Amino acid sequence: MKLSRRKFLAASGGAFAAAVAAANLTSLKAVAESGHGDAQTGEKGEKHIASSCEMCVNKCGFYAHVVNGRIKKLNPNPRFFKSRAMLCARGNAGAEEPYNPERLKTPLVRDGERGSNKWRKISYEEAFQIVAQKLAEAKTKYENRSSVAFFSSEGLQEGSFQMLAQTYGSLNTVRHPSLCLSSTIQGWSSVYGVYPDADLANAMFVVMPGANRAEALVTPDSMDFLRYRPKGQQLVVLDPRFTNTAAKADKWYPVKPATDMAFMLAMINVIINEELYNKDFVANMTEGFDELKAHVQQYTPEWAEKECEIPADEIKWCAREFAKYAPRSVIYPGRRTSWYVDDVAFRRACAIIPALCGCWDVPGGIVPKSGVPLKNPDIMYPFYDMVEERLDVESFGEFDNNLPDDARKEAGLPTDSVAYLGEKDGSWIRFREAVLRGEPYPVKMMMVYKQNFVEAAPNRAKTLKMMEMMDFICMIDIQMSDTAFYADLVIPESTYLERWDVVHSLAGIWPIATFRQACIEPVYQTKSMFEITGGIVDEMLKIPELWDDTDEEELEYFKEDFVEAILHAPIQDYIKYQVSGFENGYEKLLKDGVIYKTDQGVYGQSAKPGYRFKTRSGKIELTNVKYPDKGLDALPVYRRARQPKDGQFRFILGRHGWNTHTGTQNNEFLWEIQKENTLWINSKEALKLGIKNGDRVVVKSSVGEQTVKAEVTEKIRPDCVFYAHGFGRVSKGMSLVYQKGASQAAILEDYIEPISGNAAMHETFVTVSKA
Amino acid sequence: MATKKFGIVLDAKKCLNCKACTVACKFENTIHPGEDDYRIWVTELELKGTYPNISQEYQPSQCQHCENTPCASVCPTKATYKSPEGVVLIDYDKCILCKACMTACPYDARYENVHLHAIDKCTFCYQRQPEGREPACVETCPTRVRVFGDLNDPESEASKLLARNHTYQLKPERNTRPRLHYIK
Ligand code: SF4
Ligand code: SF4
Ligand code: SF4
Ligand code: SF4
Repeated sequence: MKLSRRKFLAASGGAFAAAVAAANLTSLKAVAESGHGDAQTGEKGEKHIASSCEMCVNKCGFYAHVVNGRIKKLNPNPRFFKSRAMLCARGNAGAEEPYNPERLKTPLVRDGERGSNKWRKISYEEAFQIVAQKLAEAKTKYENRSSVAFFSSEGLQEGSFQMLAQTYGSLNTVRHPSLCLSSTIQGWSSVYGVYPDADLANAMFVVMPGANRAEALVTPDSMDFLRYRPKGQQLVVLDPRFTNTAAKADKWYPVKPATDMAFMLAMINVIINEELYNKDFVANMTEGFDELKAHVQQYTPEWAEKECEIPADEIKWCAREFAKYAPRSVIYPGRRTSWYVDDVAFRRACAIIPALCGCWDVPGGIVPKSGVPLKNPDIMYPFYDMVEERLDVESFGEFDNNLPDDARKEAGLPTDSVAYLGEKDGSWIRFREAVLRGEPYPVKMMMVYKQNFVEAAPNRAKTLKMMEMMDFICMIDIQMSDTAFYADLVIPESTYLERWDVVHSLAGIWPIATFRQACIEPVYQTKSMFEITGGIVDEMLKIPELWDDTDEEELEYFKEDFVEAILHAPIQDYIKYQVSGFENGYEKLLKDGVIYKTDQGVYGQSAKPGYRFKTRSGKIELTNVKYPDKGLDALPVYRRARQPKDGQFRFILGRHGWNTHTGTQNNEFLWEIQKENTLWINSKEALKLGIKNGDRVVVKSSVGEQTVKAEVTEKIRPDCVFYAHGFGRVSKGMSLVYQKGASQAAILEDYIEPISGNAAMHETFVTVSKA
Repeated sequence: MATKKFGIVLDAKKCLNCKACTVACKFENTIHPGEDDYRIWVTELELKGTYPNISQEYQPSQCQHCENTPCASVCPTKATYKSPEGVVLIDYDKCILCKACMTACPYDARYENVHLHAIDKCTFCYQRQPEGREPACVETCPTRVRVFGDLNDPESEASKLLARNHTYQLKPERNTRPRLHYIK
């Protein structure tokens, strides 16, 4: 008998408990019948399927509670120790994704002007044919496969999209890091050869410059800094904005934007001059101490106080405490560091401090990431004649980087190139600029996998202009993102709850590997990116012009070893191969959702005898050895940034814990938490401008303006304003947030940090006035 | 075996105001999106101070599962009742939507569930009890603000926390004797 929820709870008093004890579990669970949406499935019964979350980058493990073929709820997987077995608001709201009334259900081809929201439904087969045909046309017309750009967003299916890019042979793959973290990767790698983690579960002294771990959730850091916080741990947060992280800190320094480097350099000054550093560690493990010592003499705490507005005594206190608790002290590396044009130099300064104090590869310190060993097939793609070098690289020397007019422009930064451009990632800003100029060669077609650059990249007007120049744009996504909205062909991917994804090792101090299995059948017969790539490649193989610039024999091997053996095989075979080094690896994955070697933190890998750091000298480089070859400073040099003039504010970015970038705002369960963003403005400044809480205000930069409600607050410096990412959307297919609140992309100016190629998104000044 | 007494000990200082608990509750208990439909909430307490000397705290809460239960005393049909573990539950069939309980509850813990045509509120996820699973809001929290357990069992984590820490309850002047204990 199936108990209704009403009947179940109707049993009263003592009888209720007896009923509970007696009833079998299946019927008990059935009381909580899934309710939202109304898609029907033929399936009966209940199950709990292990898989992993795709609502952000962390891929937290869960068990999907499936009732009659519908997702009822996602529950945290207790074995997923990397997330400390939690699921955040987004992770919970993910249960709605397959049933979101506005999700993409069928391929759509444009049936009107771009952006007119007129679409015609077509089949997947037709969509694949169109893509193959357009790829062939681009190749024939431009005789350069790199004339098609492949933009993608991070995820377990990104590899499937890269397979398509490599099959076609374009070198223009543009991934997300240069709108996000490429500068912190470059900065920390320039010291340690790797981009490491900070062990917040064991550190006693934590300096967090800007990272907002209470709201921009990163596993396990966001959990550890409160949940496993060691007794007596001190947290110091530098941020112009009083974030939830600042609210949890022992000290909040509302640092003057673009001056954080002064704080770090002065810390180095104190640590060296007061001889607080770890002499053995410095002597044995590092390179370039003497140069560093001489260099930082100019950067006294008193000097720094004038730059960053943090009192000299506080800087000294931080330096001394840091050294006192070393090696259990960290400067937090952070992720989305697309802040300033000299961000790499700033990150270098951060990275040097733990190196001086020997806080390296030990509990509580800065620790290199470890991974879970997986096997991945080596795929040989054909070599083609008609391929030119990456556009952003070819553009070096052709035009100047967009840098603000201040001391930083004068030295230390490449003016017309990117020093360390990621070979697969590219530099988003430099890439768009080169496309707009059409030089040195035209890029005329875009394949986009889930990267919503219309809202993610600064200067939306330029992005839309770039899209206008395209012969053809194909978008693959689960929803009508702003980028999809301006595309010519939109191909839906299945949501993460409906597909199988390959295994991925989540590197860190607690490495764990996870994958995805379908928790439910696709609600609308959609396909995974793996299947989409398979379908497109099959159609491509039917067009001879696509293969006339490669070796025939090579092509045959490619068909056999890749198309037949991988694309035409079930993705499960791929997964089985990946975990074939583990006993019963595949079965374990299906059951547990995870695979790992140990659930303990991994430390000391670099302490092994003969270990060479991946730097030129093989040591930790306080003074970088290879940078001078490219005309870059070997040591972090502070050059004063321009600051907003009277009447101007610096616009700073950020987000809250219930949304991810631009991907989650149209989910009703998250939308009801925040329906639009608001402009944070310091109460004294608001008073001067006659702005009251809730007033509509116009925020204006040199590239655009937005109207938004003011939130008059004490929680921000007087010289800055802020609103959260992901609102003021242009896609009518995201109706909950269409034109609700304000867009960041619309007002951000497009400066570049030219050592890593990252965007510099905290360099925009705006005015604010009553609407 | 002594009877169980379920309760929750909260360390609100750990709360990120991330809303994982509120969203988890919605799915676990089939609560549709909507302004007034919730069993659990996170209050942003008033910001203290002026820039740059400010502090901000959050107060996550839900039905207190009061030992002195004003919502039950006023209920004319006895739709509100207590489980043997002291969990305050509602018999939806008996509820006549008079809303006396909503008025009587000092914590604003109740809402009208228009789909069930009854007044509804937190049940400590009672449906999870047979399997011994934690309530959804407890389980999903990134920082483990809540610890759920049997307050009659001195060995339970909740009892130990209660014994080890100074705690307070919300609105003690109402003499409801809540089963939610906040760590000071
Ligand atoms: S942090 Fe949240 S959104 Fe990100 S993977 Fe984990 S549960 Fe999902
Ligand atoms: S899940 Fe935990 S941290 Fe997040 S709002 Fe709820 S109580 Fe606070
Ligand atoms: S909090 Fe309100 S609803 Fe809950 S038991 Fe107490 S009086 Fe009743
Ligand atoms: S215990 Fe269950 S019903 Fe109560 S607030 Fe938490 S999740 Fe909701």
